[in-house]
Amino acid sequence: MPKPYMGKILMVDLSSHTLTEEVIPDAVYEQYLSGMGLGAYILYNRIPAGADPLGPENILGFCSGLLTGSGSLFSGRWTLTGKSPLTGCWGDANCGGTFSPAIKRCGYDAIFFSGISDTPVYLYIKNGTATLRDATDLWGEDAIATEERLGARHGLKAGIAVIGPAGEKLSLISGVCTDRGRIAARSGLGAVMGSKKLKAVVLDGVKRIGAADPAAMKRLSRHCSKWVGFNLPLTPGSVFARVGSFLRITPVLFPQDGLLYTNILKKWGTGGMNQASIEMGDAPLKNWEGTNRDFPIAKSRKINPDRILETEIVKYHCYSCPLGCGGTCAAKGMPGHTHKPEYESILALGGLCMNEDLDSIYYLNELLNRAGMDTISAGATAAFAIECFEKGVLTKEDTDGLELKWGNTEATVALIKKMIRREGLGDVLADGTKIAAAKIGKGAEAFTVHAGGQEPAMHDGRNDPGFNIHYSLEPTPGRHTLGAHLYYEMFQLWKRVKGLPKPKPLFAKSSKYRIDAEKAAMAAACSRFMSLANGAGMCMFGLFLGAKRTPTFDWLNAATGWTLSPEDYMVVGERIQTLKQAFNVKHGIEPKNNFISARAQGTVPQREGANKGRSVDVEKLACDYWTQFGWDPDTGKPKDETLRKLGIS
Amino acid sequence: MAYTITEKCNGCGACARVCPADAITGEKKKLHVIAAAQCIECGACGRSCPHASVLDATGTLCGLIKRSEWLKPAFIIKSCIACGICVDTCPVGCLAMSDLPRDKGVAPYPYLQAAKACIGCGFCSHDCPTDALVMQKPAKS
Repeated sequence: MPKPYMGKILMVDLSSHTLTEEVIPDAVYEQYLSGMGLGAYILYNRIPAGADPLGPENILGFCSGLLTGSGSLFSGRWTLTGKSPLTGCWGDANCGGTFSPAIKRCGYDAIFFSGISDTPVYLYIKNGTATLRDATDLWGEDAIATEERLGARHGLKAGIAVIGPAGEKLSLISGVCTDRGRIAARSGLGAVMGSKKLKAVVLDGVKRIGAADPAAMKRLSRHCSKWVGFNLPLTPGSVFARVGSFLRITPVLFPQDGLLYTNILKKWGTGGMNQASIEMGDAPLKNWEGTNRDFPIAKSRKINPDRILETEIVKYHCYSCPLGCGGTCAAKGMPGHTHKPEYESILALGGLCMNEDLDSIYYLNELLNRAGMDTISAGATAAFAIECFEKGVLTKEDTDGLELKWGNTEATVALIKKMIRREGLGDVLADGTKIAAAKIGKGAEAFTVHAGGQEPAMHDGRNDPGFNIHYSLEPTPGRHTLGAHLYYEMFQLWKRVKGLPKPKPLFAKSSKYRIDAEKAAMAAACSRFMSLANGAGMCMFGLFLGAKRTPTFDWLNAATGWTLSPEDYMVVGERIQTLKQAFNVKHGIEPKNNFISARAQGTVPQREGANKGRSVDVEKLACDYWTQFGWDPDTGKPKDETLRKLGIS
Repeated sequence: MAYTITEKCNGCGACARVCPADAITGEKKKLHVIAAAQCIECGACGRSCPHASVLDATGTLCGLIKRSEWLKPAFIIKSCIACGICVDTCPVGCLAMSDLPRDKGVAPYPYLQAAKACIGCGFCSHDCPTDALVMQKPAKS
């Protein structure tokens, strides 16, 4: 029976330049799927406790999703895995584009790298033959230029993942780039690739990817694409700011239907909610100290979604995605085309630094994509530096004359260029806020916002407490794509999975901030589901359509021939989640140390604006959340009986 | 399952030249062999063999077809959801997504950018989730 997975991985030891194929038993896929799950399975078993993330013992994995290429939609995401040098925890980053099927078309579900090469190399696989090749001539090139050179050398059809100068210089906020400007940015795994002297992975295979029941796959995909094509009437983008204002003041809410969000994504991309997020208190401003009053509509209209749409030439679809939230843009002052900046980039480089200049956001987005540096962490670290300067912790002498004032676009751009080049203060900041604060001293730690060392994304947990649960309690701290109160509403898991709480049709907004076991159950369901989705290679935006419209569980059964229930699949998600937590425990991580910084918890609540008076008791949330997984409620460590039950040894 | 080459093969090498998976090996004027693990069953070898020496995965003898008559994909753009599956699945990279949008809106669309490279395998049509591609005989120019 054809399967959607290839059943093999490639292990590359860069120290000895040895390449070894390994067959993975079917049982591993049944327990962990592929993607993040397979990555967790390999890394948990093979990275020795206490390994240096930038040393030879760390293993960097490029893992395709189980559903990638099976005929399902929204299943083109690949996961980069490794021990994070930024947090010391389990690290992963995932990305769309075309790289996930490229891995499978070479006959592997994942490619793992251990060791350290003496000289820069890249891996090239062509129709079953894998070789390590010299990359000395590419070392120092930016990510997009490297990709173009390798594309010219090996054919434009090849899937190419590269690091830019940030990864080479071991910046702990660097990522791995594909598709001329997409980046698996989080967890600092670009530095792991740089430490291994691995410049690129070039994949050029033509293997077929199967499915147990192709007719069922097609039927399910048509059902899903019908919902993607369901167009709702949308207002101009400028009206969204008013919608955000309304959401800020309304005392009652109703559960959000993701159909609206997918329509917004289809039209504007992730930047569609820019202004609304600022107005409703979702977007952190001024290094998490500001409010919507600091960045009023008069300012935020300069980053209005319609302004971004004006620059878009054509939509960009990742592999197997009918939605197309990406875009190719021609922006002022940009040579050629550039990827449309994402919501996270716009807010991190915009509102968080109080920068209202859209052209500079395009410029920085391109600059950071070429450097291979995470826009979220880079923007957050710049905002941290600005606050340090404003409060006298940094002086003009420290900044080489840069006037790091809120909203000083020129200085912000110059600072980020320094970070990319690791020059002067930029060298201090290139490893993120936590390490920068430790180097700067003078109480700079008070201005950092991070969870376990990683800067959180541009969604404020004081507005949606679900974000603070996942920022603080996930095995990969600081991540926003794993769950939130809003995500739970949109996933509509209760329609497919028995026993999950169903939100009331109308509820008081204040009830969102009440900490109770139901919130923990919702958060745990998100974590299980997204771990499953990351094993399958699914995109969260597709999942926003709801569990009935995007038939993840059914696709998995039709692709593999398994006959698991949605509840069984949620256990698979739980197993992946628990294995990641066990990885952290093995490496000496105390989960309690990963709670998000006090400022983002609202320990001292804001005095005005959308999130006025709000605080989130992460400690209380943690006990309830950990209990949901059978982890110790006091320490967050998986209990022995839980590990036994899930078959983790 | 994979395609196989019979003893009738005279080693002309036409199959090896057209195989996108580099699955066929053999010395010139000697029997060629298809590596089963590499074969993707695109059928290009069978269509290009002048000596009727290739059997498909079911053991059926393949027939020579003039390359100019190999089926080519035709796009039904109104059914296309721009998911890019066809572009990715093409073993010779002859399809691409447009750099320009469709007439209305800003959605890209797939097109046959290198018609001469197309081997008529039909994977694009087979894998398209919305049946927005059909394989048909190329129009005579």
